[in-house]
Amino acid sequence: MRKLASLSVILALCGGAFYAVSAAEKAAEPAKEAAAAKTPLECFESRKGASELTQRDVKPDWPNVKCSPTTGAALWYGDPYDGTVPMGKMPGLDIAEGKAVVKPRTEKLALMPMCGVSCHNGVGPAFNPPKLPKDKKPAPVPTMEAMVPDLANFQHGRGRIWCMDCHHTTKRNMLVDHFGDPVSFDQPQLLCGKCHGDKLRDWRDGIHGKRIGEFVSTGKKRWFTCTECHNPHNVQDGARNKGFIQVQPEPSPQLPRGMANADHEKLHPIPH
Amino acid sequence: MANNDTPCAGTAQDRPSDCPVQPASADPAANELKTTRRDFLRAGGMLSLSSLMGTAALMTQSDDANAAVEWGEHFQKNYRLMTTEEKNEARLRLERRYSDEYGKKVAVDTTEAQPGMLMGYALNIRKCIGCRRCVHACVAENNQSRGPRPGEKIEWIQVLRMERGKFEQEKMNHGYPEGLGIQVGGNAYTPAGQVLEGQYHYNPKAVPEADATYMPIACMQCEKPPCVKVCPVRTTYREGDGPVVIDYNWCIGCKMCMNACPYWARRFNLTTPVLPKEEMNPVTHYLGNRPRMRGVVEKCHWCLQRTRHNRYPACVEVCPVGARKFGNLLDPESEVSKILERKNVFRLKAELNTFPKFFYFYD
Ligand code: SF4
Ligand code: SF4
Repeated sequence: MRKLASLSVILALCGGAFYAVSAAEKAAEPAKEAAAAKTPLECFESRKGASELTQRDVKPDWPNVKCSPTTGAALWYGDPYDGTVPMGKMPGLDIAEGKAVVKPRTEKLALMPMCGVSCHNGVGPAFNPPKLPKDKKPAPVPTMEAMVPDLANFQHGRGRIWCMDCHHTTKRNMLVDHFGDPVSFDQPQLLCGKCHGDKLRDWRDGIHGKRIGEFVSTGKKRWFTCTECHNPHNVQDGARNKGFIQVQPEPSPQLPRGMANADHEKLHPIPH
Repeated sequence: MANNDTPCAGTAQDRPSDCPVQPASADPAANELKTTRRDFLRAGGMLSLSSLMGTAALMTQSDDANAAVEWGEHFQKNYRLMTTEEKNEARLRLERRYSDEYGKKVAVDTTEAQPGMLMGYALNIRKCIGCRRCVHACVAENNQSRGPRPGEKIEWIQVLRMERGKFEQEKMNHGYPEGLGIQVGGNAYTPAGQVLEGQYHYNPKAVPEADATYMPIACMQCEKPPCVKVCPVRTTYREGDGPVVIDYNWCIGCKMCMNACPYWARRFNLTTPVLPKEEMNPVTHYLGNRPRMRGVVEKCHWCLQRTRHNRYPACVEVCPVGARKFGNLLDPESEVSKILERKNVFRLKAELNTFPKFFYFYD
C-alpha cells in the first residue's frame, strides 16, 4: 500500500520529465534494434579471410567469441580452444601432449584436396616425371589465377622465389620443407622458418606472433600459425608500413562533454 | 529530490541512462536518502544518525531487488583488512546483488595472489597497427560503462597515434622563431617519433597508416605506484603478484589517484555505469571486473579474474598482430622474461621512478 502511494506521488512529481525521457527512448529504440540485428554472428580472427569463428553459447550466458559490430573482428574469446587440433611436433619446441593446439587451415582451404586430384594429379605427359620450367617462371594459367586471385599479384620474395619453393611438386595439397618432404598447411612454420629463422625463433618463444589460452609457460595455448596473420602470396600492401595488412579500426573513444570534434588533436602546438 | 529517484532505481537495470536523476548505487541508503558515503565522510558527526536512517530505509524496502545493496556491504571493511570469512560474506552479498541486477548467475571470485607469480606485460610498439581491438576487448571483459552520453563510456586502454615525422629540404629556411628576420633555430622541431603527443580520436578507413605510429597506453602496474601513495583511504594498493587494484566499495571518489597517475590510466564513474544485462560478463573478481558504482575510480587490473586463473588478459588475446605479451616475470621461460632477455625494452616515463611492470619493446 505504502509503496503504491509513494509511486503515485513520484509519478505526479516527475511526470513532465518522464514524458520527455520516454519520447527520446522511443526514438532510440529502432536504432538499437537495427544495431542488434547487424551484430555479425560470424567474425574473422586475425586478418580477414584467414580464419573465422561462428558465435554460439558454450555455456549459459557464455559465448565462445564476441564479434565487433563495427568491423566484424573477433573481440573477445570465451573459449580460446574452439575448433582446434593438436599442433604436432615442432623442432626446438618441447611441449607436453595436448598443451599446444592450432586452428586447422586445411579445412578452410577447401580447394586443397582437389588440387592434387583434379589438375596437379601427376598424370599426363607434363607430369610424368614432373617437368617444371627451368627458369622457374610459372606459365600463367587463367583458371588457376581465377581460383587464387593473389597469384596475379604475387609479391613474396620480390621475384626471387616461385611456387615450388613453398608448394610440394607432386603433392599439391602440401607445402614442402628443405628436404623436399611434404609439410601440412596446418604447420606452415616448418616451411616459413626455412628463410625467416629469426622470426621462427621469436615465434617459438612466444615473442613473435600470438598465443591465446593459459599464459603460464606450462599452460595450454592455442598458437596462431604464420599464415593466419600473414598472406604468404601478398606480403606487401600499399599504404601500410608494417608486415600486417591494413584493417578497419574499431570506433574511437567518446568525446568529452561539450567537445564537438577532435580537430584540436591534429594541430601541433608549434606550427610547422 | 529524494522521491524523484525511486522510480528510476526501479528501471535502472534496464535503461539507467534514461533516469532523470542517477541513483547512487554505491550507497545502500541512496535511493531513499540521497546520502552517500562521501557525504558521510564530509559530515563525520552525522555518521551514526545517517547510518541508522539508512538501516531503517533498508528494512522497509527489503523486497526491492534494486535497493538490495545490503547494509552489510555498506559497513564492510577495507578488503585488505577483512578476514577470510568476511571476504566470503562480502563475495556472497555481491553475487546475490549482481545476479539479481543482471538476471544471470554472476560469480565474484576472491582468489588470492599465488606465490611465485609476478605478472609482467610487454608491448611491441613496432607491431601495433592501432586497430583498437584491445580497447574494445577490454570493455567486453571488464564490465565498463558503455552508455551513449558523455561520461558514460569508459575505456581503460588508450591508443595514441603519433606522426612518424618528415623533414623536407623546402623547409630548411623556415627557422625558429619566425618573423624576426634572423633564423635562430632549425625546422627539425617537426613532430616525430614517440613524443606522447598526437591523436586519440583518429579514425581513418584503414590502419596502419604509413605516416603514423601507434602507442597503446593503460595502467603500467607500477612497482612504486604514485596512485597508491596518495589514496587517502588506502583502497588502492599493489597486490602480491603485481597488479595495482581497487576495492571499489571503499573508494570515496576523491580522484586523488587520477591526478597522481602519470599515465592517464584511471577513469571515474561520473554517472551510474550503463551496462546492458546481455553484455555483462558474469565471471568477475572482487578486485577486478565486478560491476562498479557511480562515484568510484576504476582502471586496468590486468584482467585479474582471468590472470589469477592463468588465462591471458583479454587484450592480449585479441591483438591481431600479437603485439601484446603477458607472463610471469619470475619464470625465465615466460614470454616477458624472454623479451627482457633478448629485446630492447623501455619503461614509459622511467624518469619518474614509478617502475612500471609494463614494458615497451621493438624488434
Ligand atoms: S600506471 Fe597509474 S594507476 Fe597504474 S599503478 Fe601506475 S600510477 Fe597507479
Ligand atoms: S589490438 Fe594490438 S595492434 Fe590493435 S591497437 Fe591494440 S595493441 Fe595495437
